[in-house]
Amino acid sequence: MSFDWKSYQPVLIPNIPDYHKLSVYEKNGGYEQFKKVLAKQDEFTPEGVATIVKNSGLRGRGGAGFNTGLKWSFMPKPDGGPRYIAANGDESEPGTFKDRVIFEYNPHSFIEGALIAAYAMRITAVYVYIRGEYRSWIRMMEAAIADAYKAGHIGENIHGSGFTTHMYVHSGAGAYICGEESSLMESLEGKRGYPRVKPPFPAQKGLWGRPTTINNIETLANVPYILKIGAEAYAAIGAKNHPGPLLYGISGHVNKPGVYEFPSGMSIETLIYDVCGGMRNGKKLKALIPGGSSTPPLTADMIVGTTMDSDSLRTAGSMLGTAGMVVMDEDTDMVDMLTRISHFYHHESCGQCTPCRDGTGWLEKTLKKINRGDGEMRDLDLLLDICTQMEGRTICALADAAAWPVRFTITRFKEDFEARCKQTVYATA
Amino acid sequence: MAEIFIDNQRFEFTGTVKVLQFILDKGLDLPHFCYHPALSIPANCRQCYVEAGMPVFNKETNAYDLDENGQRVIRWFPKLMTACNTDASDGMVVKTHVTSELVRRGQKDVLEFILINHPLDCPICDQAGECPLQIQTYKYGPEGSRFEHKKVHKPKRIQLGPRVVLDAERCINCTRCVRFTDEISKSHQLTIISRGDKNYPAVAPGREFDDAYSLNTVDICPVGALTSADFRFKARVWDMVSTPSIDITNGKGCSVDIWTRDNLVLRITPRENKNVNDVWMPDAGRTAYTIYNENRVNKPQLMLDGAQVPTSWTNAVLTVHEKIAETPSDQILVIASAFSSLEDNFALSSFFSKLGKGSVGFTPHIVPGFGDGFLITDDQAPNTSGVRMLDVAEHSASSLSDAAKNAKLVIILNDDLVGRGVLTAADLKGAFVVALSSNLTATTAAADLVVPITTAAEHVGTYVNVDGRAQRTRAAKETAHRGRNVNMDMSKGRLDHFGTHFDNWVSDKNRIDCVPVWEFLTNVATEAGIGFSYSESGDVLRDMTATLPTLSELTYERMDAENGISLITESNHA
Repeated sequence: MSFDWKSYQPVLIPNIPDYHKLSVYEKNGGYEQFKKVLAKQDEFTPEGVATIVKNSGLRGRGGAGFNTGLKWSFMPKPDGGPRYIAANGDESEPGTFKDRVIFEYNPHSFIEGALIAAYAMRITAVYVYIRGEYRSWIRMMEAAIADAYKAGHIGENIHGSGFTTHMYVHSGAGAYICGEESSLMESLEGKRGYPRVKPPFPAQKGLWGRPTTINNIETLANVPYILKIGAEAYAAIGAKNHPGPLLYGISGHVNKPGVYEFPSGMSIETLIYDVCGGMRNGKKLKALIPGGSSTPPLTADMIVGTTMDSDSLRTAGSMLGTAGMVVMDEDTDMVDMLTRISHFYHHESCGQCTPCRDGTGWLEKTLKKINRGDGEMRDLDLLLDICTQMEGRTICALADAAAWPVRFTITRFKEDFEARCKQTVYATA
Repeated sequence: MAEIFIDNQRFEFTGTVKVLQFILDKGLDLPHFCYHPALSIPANCRQCYVEAGMPVFNKETNAYDLDENGQRVIRWFPKLMTACNTDASDGMVVKTHVTSELVRRGQKDVLEFILINHPLDCPICDQAGECPLQIQTYKYGPEGSRFEHKKVHKPKRIQLGPRVVLDAERCINCTRCVRFTDEISKSHQLTIISRGDKNYPAVAPGREFDDAYSLNTVDICPVGALTSADFRFKARVWDMVSTPSIDITNGKGCSVDIWTRDNLVLRITPRENKNVNDVWMPDAGRTAYTIYNENRVNKPQLMLDGAQVPTSWTNAVLTVHEKIAETPSDQILVIASAFSSLEDNFALSSFFSKLGKGSVGFTPHIVPGFGDGFLITDDQAPNTSGVRMLDVAEHSASSLSDAAKNAKLVIILNDDLVGRGVLTAADLKGAFVVALSSNLTATTAAADLVVPITTAAEHVGTYVNVDGRAQRTRAAKETAHRGRNVNMDMSKGRLDHFGTHFDNWVSDKNRIDCVPVWEFLTNVATEAGIGFSYSESGDVLRDMTATLPTLSELTYERMDAENGISLITESNHA
């Protein structure tokens, strides 16, 4: 892709000093889209706003990549009762750290987006669920929301428009599972973070049994920009089926890791070798996790010509996820890496469904055995078997997220695993 | 009518029904752990996997699409479905383990996962023999385990509350107990703590699981994780005999099973009865096993020089006969009991009416505010409604006390009037007191003659609960006079059917020397020369139903077949 990334002007994390301050944000056109919507309610009906977002092609940035406007349209007609947005800032997946920069550098763009979404779905309260480990960022968000309240952007009868909504920050308590939308709702309700059985879907029965939409922080932060430039212009940014600016959280063995904003569909090679200044110490690339630890890792061969959008990555054999890329060089111990990932999922499985509760532990124990050199070849088959027994057999997708890295790391980096295993031969009758 | 196909068999259904419940209702088998018909559906054990699909309905032809063989085209759901939370819908096709290899594999996989961290201590586990995990593993589980690591260790012997002990390692996290306290007993005392395979149920720090219904969690626990502190390590399930009966500790009369071994009642568990207790019972009813086993009156006791000494049955019969004969009618006070069965009370009142002497009355024991509106009632006695249906005067506590002071002979049926504070020992000083009692109480201590009688676990008796439902008990324990080989109605256990005489022993010390009330009174009647003679509870019941029109419908057969008979009808509803 011959994209001139150097001249790209970021919109989600623009290069403006003190942009997190309400005054600076407002000086640069902040809250104007929201005010425009409120002022011209005949032109921008709630359904109309949802349609604009739908037509822009904005897809959820939390990992599943569902069309945001379409999700909004699932909300039932208002019946006078409360309706909620739960904004998901629980980002806890290893390799994912993009929402944090929004909390830190551009909280008001998220708040404005959430308010527009609230208007589009006639929401009475927005809950911003932020992972508990983000203590400082929770305070930043609280300060930003307090400022927005003071400026009259949130609250009763906002700017005299007759539209009322509220916004609250809720701190998580350090559980990865609470980033899953239904357990996020359980957690918000003050319960144990166990994912709920669907149906009913959140749009029908969400928080406290009321219609609820769950959106990622980055997704909502995109909304003001869509209203600013229009659905068509937005849809033209980046990859065709996954348009818009995207935060790439790049970590691992590159010279300049960090969160970078570029249009979606950036070439992985460009990102690694140009944007991030190439591999650390000039080593060779060995593996890449494209979108957070649950997405299948790609080998160096597989990323050639692959771009960061859902279509291209699916073709390559992985998923976009949260675009949290983990780059690994030739010295990386894949067995050790996978053991560490499995440890994470074992630690974070909520323990509700049997296959995930006991399967994640079994995966980790078996991988640890292989990692310390006690493994046998048959353990690799066992691992793949356990994956088969877990995939698609649970209420939420955590079992899949735990099984995929194991399945694909073993199949794509088979030599590393086989080299670590004892070459035991079992006599068969 | 809507149709559903399960393993190529067509069934019809109406309304909304879950596939698992429908399969179970049809008498078919599908393994499950977390699902309980009385609780919400969490679908967390993932054991009840089925393949499910819907036929493709063509709106243009207004018919189902057919394939080349004329069969409906089925669009299968892409994943295995948990039957417990899948709604049956018209035309749905379901494949269970009977017809689907995929389902068999899925069920096996889940059992393999469950068992990797389960201690497999069945040989010392109370649940063994009635354990859904054990049963379903034998039926549907894998042959062995491929798990070669150390199991997760969790706390054992956690005393959650006064009556419930948890072994966290055995727990499979089905959350039935948590849902029970949330949805049925509403005490919200349990929750799951920790995460992943370290999960287990617990109470909040500093609290205890003292729910009045806590032992129900032991029943619904599909493994041996929650155990009863009383019953723990007492007996193997297959060595006991269970006898259907009812709870006699309060006015609700929950249906129960009484479990005995060596003629001791070891535990009492609820028996399903939709009209009374569903599948639950209060903890208090389970501790009734102590009433049946301990502190029993064994042989008649006669007061001699200020101390009670054992005496013979002949002496007891003659003493009662002589005392009745020598005491003027207006000085005989006969007190019936809401704690005794209809049969006992009817026999007592009909004995004295045939004799033409004495007046029979009783006093109820109702503690306002004691009940909870669920299964615990204000009424402390199991048969208050029943005694009211008999020809027995109802006294207030004070009038009974006055009557006792003026009487020369007081006959008290199975009611601890002194212990409950209705009478005092001083009230009874002036009279000769005969206590017909199953257990030693403050009343028997004040009595001049104590006649041991059978408990609800030793005789057949009918009790009418607070809602007017007549239910009956059966003999679960042998007495010194009637063993299994005499009383053919007694339930039989595995050892009765398959054991030798040596297997099925009953220690003599566990046989109580007591008789049913009607048997004792028959002996007295023989001395008195009146026409009063019964040889079994059924005789009393038949006599009673012939005499009293309100009870005319009562038969043991109907009570058994219908789980009790409601006696409250339009005509007799007060």
